[in-house]
Amino acid sequence: MNSGVWEEVGCAKLWNEWCRTTDTVHLSPTDAFCVFYHLKSNPSVLLCQCSCYVAEDQQYQWLDKVFGSCPRKNMQVTVLTCRHVTDYKTAESTSSLHSPFLKALKTENFKEPPCCSLLEQPNIVHDLPAAVLSYCQVWKIPAILYLCYTDVMKLDLITVGAFKPVLSSRSLKGLVKNIPQSTEILKKLMTTNEIQSNIYT
Amino acid sequence: MASRYDRAITVFSPDGHLFQVEYAQEAVKKGSTAVGIRGTDIVVLGVEKKSVAKLQDERTVRKICALDDHVCMAFAGLTADARVVIKRARVECQSHKLTVEDPVTVEYITRFIATLKQKYTQSNGRRPFGISALIVGFDDDGIPRLYQTDPSGTYHAWKANAIGRSAKTVQEFLEKNYTEDAIANDNEAIKLAIRALLEVVQSGGKNVELAIIRRNQPLKMFSAKEIELQVAEIEKEKEEAEKKKSKKTT
Repeated sequence: MNSGVWEEVGCAKLWNEWCRTTDTVHLSPTDAFCVFYHLKSNPSVLLCQCSCYVAEDQQYQWLDKVFGSCPRKNMQVTVLTCRHVTDYKTAESTSSLHSPFLKALKTENFKEPPCCSLLEQPNIVHDLPAAVLSYCQVWKIPAILYLCYTDVMKLDLITVGAFKPVLSSRSLKGLVKNIPQSTEILKKLMTTNEIQSNIYT
Repeated sequence: MASRYDRAITVFSPDGHLFQVEYAQEAVKKGSTAVGIRGTDIVVLGVEKKSVAKLQDERTVRKICALDDHVCMAFAGLTADARVVIKRARVECQSHKLTVEDPVTVEYITRFIATLKQKYTQSNGRRPFGISALIVGFDDDGIPRLYQTDPSGTYHAWKANAIGRSAKTVQEFLEKNYTEDAIANDNEAIKLAIRALLEVVQSGGKNVELAIIRRNQPLKMFSAKEIELQVAEIEKEKEEAEKKKSKKTT
């Protein structure tokens, strides 16, 4: 996010029992909270990076504050989220699943075809991504949610790679820059996470 | 339903699952990939090296261990469990040699490890070992062997197999590419192991570790340079194959 292409425009600060800081007055945006950025070249493109847990009773206020300040006409929302593959309920044997894989869920007003198959019942989406999608459905905002089921607990190159089909969707195609060093940049970002604990070899 | 039957190892669920054993298989998937190939005169073990912290001594982070002069194994899963299993296996190898004056057969030591693992799935107060192992070696009769064990205590002989993270991708690659030609000579078998690993290793040849055993020869660990040479050869072959393909289509 500090590549110079995105500019920070705001942040949403909240506190609940899952937050790791007790000082709620002097919060810096680098604390694990929700930060909003817009694209410098196209300020109508907003990005929200949410790295904290938003409790159920805080979700409505969060949505109200965030969406309440944006005009709802001509808005399209894309949500990207992850879940562990052991949460995926299916009749197939889990050994035949090729994780990571992508599933989509969209609102009624979203007319484009999604870039992967839809999430089947009885699987559900949880937490803030679900709240955002529900809000968009109620207010008739076209929105789509991409859920990546992965078998690792920490982000790695393969899981991030699973989101690549999303870049070819119509709504995001205009923003995609074809950088040949994109794999190198990704690798660099991922190597900082690789030094894991010594429990597993 | 799972939550009521997955707390104790000694409890079956109504549909016959031992959930703790199945969860132990998930722990195996958290370890990095290991691949084993049985050639005609060689057995190859390749592993994805775990990234070492800056201040860590690399020599103490090993996935391939010798159990005896003619048997070695690679594991995936909980490091501490592997250390315990390897120690027991090594002691058993020597004890067998002293008792019957013959080195263990690969099948014997695999069966020993598998029985040890199974015991831990049937006593209460203990949990299963969270490792899968690939055991390779040559018996006295000169036949190469590759066995795989898993946390439930089962073991099977394989021509080629992979364990750990992304094992499925590697297994599919091996199913497609393990042919009589591919293992025709030792070098080809080594290249097949490296190619299989490169399918899933994210940072290329420098994160691959390789060990081979040739008939009547001790375990040989490849140095980083030797692996680099092999990787360079593989890349060259790939380029030539692509050139040929593009020539055919034009």
